[in-house]
Amino acid sequence: MQGAGMLGDLSWDLIVMQLFFGLALGSVYVLLASGLSIIYGLLDVVNFAHGTFAMLGAYAVFLAVTLTGSFAVGIASAVVVVAILGMVTEFVLLKPLYGKDPLLPLLLTFGLSVAIPDFMKVIFGLIGKPVSYPEALSGSTTLGLLTFSNYRLFVIFFTMAILISLWLFLKKSDLGLIIRAATRDRLMVQVLGINTSRIWSIGFALGIGLAALAGAISAPMMAATPDMGVEMTMVAFVVTVVGGLGSLGGAIVGGLLIGVIVAFTSLFAGEYSTVAMYFCMAVILLIRPRGLFGESGRE
Amino acid sequence: MDEKTDQKTSRRNFLKSGAAVAGLSLLGGAAPSILKAAAPEVIRYGTMHPLTGTYSALGADQMHATQLAVEEWNAKGGVLGHKIEWIYRDDQLNGAVALRRAKELVEEDKCDFIGGTLSGSISLAINEFAGKNKVIYVTDCQTDMVLGSDLNKYGFAFMVIPYSAALAASKYTFTKLGKKWFSITADYRWGQSLLEGWIWQSQQMGAQHVGNVYAPLGATDFSTYFTRIMAAKPDVLVMNNLGADQTAALKQASELGLTKRMKIVCTKSALSTMKEVGAAYDENVLGGMSFYWGLRDKYAGSKKFMDSYMKKFGQPIEQDGESGYVATNVLFMAMQKANTTTDKLKIAAAMEGLKYTLTKGPEYVRACDHQRVQSYLLLRGKGRRANGWDLADIVEEVPGDSIIMSCEDNSKKLPFVNIKLPK
Repeated sequence: MQGAGMLGDLSWDLIVMQLFFGLALGSVYVLLASGLSIIYGLLDVVNFAHGTFAMLGAYAVFLAVTLTGSFAVGIASAVVVVAILGMVTEFVLLKPLYGKDPLLPLLLTFGLSVAIPDFMKVIFGLIGKPVSYPEALSGSTTLGLLTFSNYRLFVIFFTMAILISLWLFLKKSDLGLIIRAATRDRLMVQVLGINTSRIWSIGFALGIGLAALAGAISAPMMAATPDMGVEMTMVAFVVTVVGGLGSLGGAIVGGLLIGVIVAFTSLFAGEYSTVAMYFCMAVILLIRPRGLFGESGRE
Repeated sequence: MDEKTDQKTSRRNFLKSGAAVAGLSLLGGAAPSILKAAAPEVIRYGTMHPLTGTYSALGADQMHATQLAVEEWNAKGGVLGHKIEWIYRDDQLNGAVALRRAKELVEEDKCDFIGGTLSGSISLAINEFAGKNKVIYVTDCQTDMVLGSDLNKYGFAFMVIPYSAALAASKYTFTKLGKKWFSITADYRWGQSLLEGWIWQSQQMGAQHVGNVYAPLGATDFSTYFTRIMAAKPDVLVMNNLGADQTAALKQASELGLTKRMKIVCTKSALSTMKEVGAAYDENVLGGMSFYWGLRDKYAGSKKFMDSYMKKFGQPIEQDGESGYVATNVLFMAMQKANTTTDKLKIAAAMEGLKYTLTKGPEYVRACDHQRVQSYLLLRGKGRRANGWDLADIVEEVPGDSIIMSCEDNSKKLPFVNIKLPK
């Protein structure tokens, strides 16, 4: 059923659709990884609770949709609420650890990645919460032989819009300029009299907001469950390593690449779809240890 | 500092830290929870459940059900006048941890009877351990451990054998829903056992298996599998997976409108899955379960069990918990029948062939292969009509005797051992 026979009926429409699913999957990865990358680039913090904040985004969507019935409100409030939570976390918990052993923030975020899901279990129960696909984006669009899920089309275009806004923000705004400068050389920025502490809070909130967004748009595709963050953290790390640390371009290319690799592995050898991601990371580490956009891309 | 060097070190630190954290998560502590009442004549019964991790909801149900059974017996004065001391531990759904917990229960806590566990592969390991250490083991999960050479004097299975679930679901499917089927199978022993059952039934009933995809355990994206399925145009899509995997697969199938184009049959489903999937778990989706709380309208035993469980824990129980309740009860019934709480061989012998009515209709433990012979339910989702825990309608209760092979076949793992699984 699989194997040789599968290659026989491989047609262009199948390939196009698989590519589409891969890009949609990759879009979520891009959002996750760009957040992780911004946080690492700016604060040198390895945020092991990245997926945990994505999970909070999913729960925020669940709550907001339950209360208001609007998915758009759900996404917006997920980003805002979780980003604020992130900012508070940075201010209260992470700030005291700056300048000390770099392992400390990592241990802290690891602790959060264990404690927050358990806290969510206490509040919301062990069973996850359902989030329906928004009415307007449900169903699929058929183009000849091709069937595209409307929701995945939305995921791709929405991610694109977010990334363009992010790029414009970082390139064109004053704050973006400072963030880029602080990423490159924080000492110099401090010398210039800029309050870097505030920049770090904003940067952390930005990264966390992106994670929450990834969790929020993932919520209808699975459910909001307390443990969903574990896999999201892993994916974010893999993509970041593949794309190159601290590089936004790397996160984008890495995320889409991993998405497409997973999609095509699913087509030919489904059981290896998860392994494929790690295999790709291993290969990149061997042939280009700094990742695809490792050094040049710190923008 | 030179920027280049700085970044290189950072990357190394990043990777190192990642490895450190991976190590930490492996060590993840598990605090044993002990209810002690040290008295010389007590019966020591220890159970293991996945209380942390993805399946913690099911683990909690198992633990609660066992607690209920033990408390009911102790309230009646124990077994033959001996109180039961129950100890439970978190096995984290990890084979190595479970084996360690089993050792602790037997060697340190001096348990003569152990139970619980949620994974087929874990139950195989614990069963072997129990056989070697001569302690009675009653498992709550779907397992092959009573088939072929894995069967031993001390191990008993209280959930259906995986193939039985597959036979029940497939027979209904091929009779009522269609004969052209495609399957998504979780790529590990349990999923493969289900698939074997489906393929065998398919051969018997002249159905057509148009394809299978294996998905790794813990997969969260299934969209990438669906192109293949849409191209194959089956009548029925069979899901041989569980938990978060099944939730994601069902949600994404509904996203692509697959639930409207074909029926979906989950060989084993769960209340938690129905809850998490929500409205998409509709009348086009069927799920198999060995127990559903709605049975209380059918059996007095179900009603009694559900009433006391709901009163104590406030929500209905999953099948994996119900089997823990039955396992615990039957163990103590066997002690009564054998008139001993210490002679384990006699107790095991008494369990063989023991007839009882507890949570469903009349059932028994088959003597030759130590399995609880019980019915299997097929439920149809209620979708938007679902309300609270009223999530599905029972469409069929398949009698237990019709979905198990003969003693002789089971001792040789026939006919499934001869099924050639797709690559």
